[in-house]
Amino acid sequence: MLGSLPAFTRLEAELSKLPGIGRKTATRLAFHLLRTNEQDVTALAEALLELRRKVGFCRSCFHIAEGELCSICADPQRDRRRLCIVQEPQDLLAIERSRAYDGSYHVLHGALSPLDGIGPDDLKIAELMQRITEESVEEIIIATNFSVEGEATALYIAHLCKQNGVRVTRLAHGIPSGSDLEYIDAGTVQQAVLGRREF
Amino acid sequence: MGALPQRTEAVVLRTTNYSEADRIVTLLTADQGLRKGFAKAARNSRKRFSGGLEPFTRAIFHWREGRGTLWSLQDAELLDGHYGLRDDIRRLALAGYGVELVELLLEEGEPQPAVYSMVCAFLAYLATGGDPAVARLLLELRLVNDLGYIPHLLHCSECFRVFHQESIRFDTARGGCLCLACAGGSGFEISLGTAGSLARTLKVESDRFAGFQFGELTLHEGQKILSQVLRSILPREPKSLRFLAQL
Repeated sequence: MLGSLPAFTRLEAELSKLPGIGRKTATRLAFHLLRTNEQDVTALAEALLELRRKVGFCRSCFHIAEGELCSICADPQRDRRRLCIVQEPQDLLAIERSRAYDGSYHVLHGALSPLDGIGPDDLKIAELMQRITEESVEEIIIATNFSVEGEATALYIAHLCKQNGVRVTRLAHGIPSGSDLEYIDAGTVQQAVLGRREF
Repeated sequence: MGALPQRTEAVVLRTTNYSEADRIVTLLTADQGLRKGFAKAARNSRKRFSGGLEPFTRAIFHWREGRGTLWSLQDAELLDGHYGLRDDIRRLALAGYGVELVELLLEEGEPQPAVYSMVCAFLAYLATGGDPAVARLLLELRLVNDLGYIPHLLHCSECFRVFHQESIRFDTARGGCLCLACAGGSGFEISLGTAGSLARTLKVESDRFAGFQFGELTLHEGQKILSQVLRSILPREPKSLRFLAQL
């Protein structure tokens, strides 16, 4: 039915390439854009082009940046002796929101995955090791996810860092603060019991 | 109201994110072999699946019939997360190789209770600090045996005579071990001791991993034999093997 509208079909196809957008949602969004005034559609198209032209990755930590360095790497107040390793830029933003950390970061852009054949060469691990030697880092805080892939990545990085004599720490995990034990899933409780500490 | 969900014990071999919050899960079940399930909104709801969708986890799954052969997973009760695997990258990578082998070798929906028990024992052995080289040899050997691909070990695969020399050769394409007279230079040389060790190992229950000790030569030659056998039956090279080689 929509085959006779190539411009509409093209937009629908492009939108459905986005993560989490299926064919139906793509069609809904395309109809929404069709009804939106030209000024707003132009602003959206320009924003997309500007994002692609201006935003890249920081040459030091590989977080998103509009320039050579991201705002964190360019900030002289940040503690350069501590380096927090995250899988994705979104993870960095989550830690920043906590306001609990004032060190620097390194974004790996993924995690090791034995089942998908994603190995160390596919991540920013060589760049991380170079930073550790060049920037006199004293502590590495590994903040990869607590999934099998995240844990594999953490183990691998910890192994490399310890060879260089750097202190390695891992984010704590277990029962979320403010929650009732009776409502916590069995997997989290199991790990919290295994990872209990002196009090 | 629909029928009550069914209940199956299974090990998670792989999970793939689908759409915004869903997951497709590949399971090795205790009674129905390899199955795939759809876990709707699994990434938003830790309560329903209790961490039971992570690879290598053993859990009880409640499911309903879904589209085609895909189960609709309702929830999971965690039995064993095998969290000990996360303490050692080599064991974790080997566990990944083990479950990928199973996924590549088994047909969907074909019950394999012996393979299930063996995979559970393999993961438990590695998660409790088991020797990775021993675990790999035992898993590969038993998988090949359980699925009917075991080569001739204690006699020549061509003349069927029992071996008398210590040195023999092995060639998967010709059925397994060969006496030097039949081999004519094909395959590669192995010791009779290795072939004997592999044959004896198959007499032990396949879900036993602890207590085995193999010499360096047996481990080396055994892996060479099994790698050749697996290469001949696998549809593609396991991705996790490349990962293991990088460690």
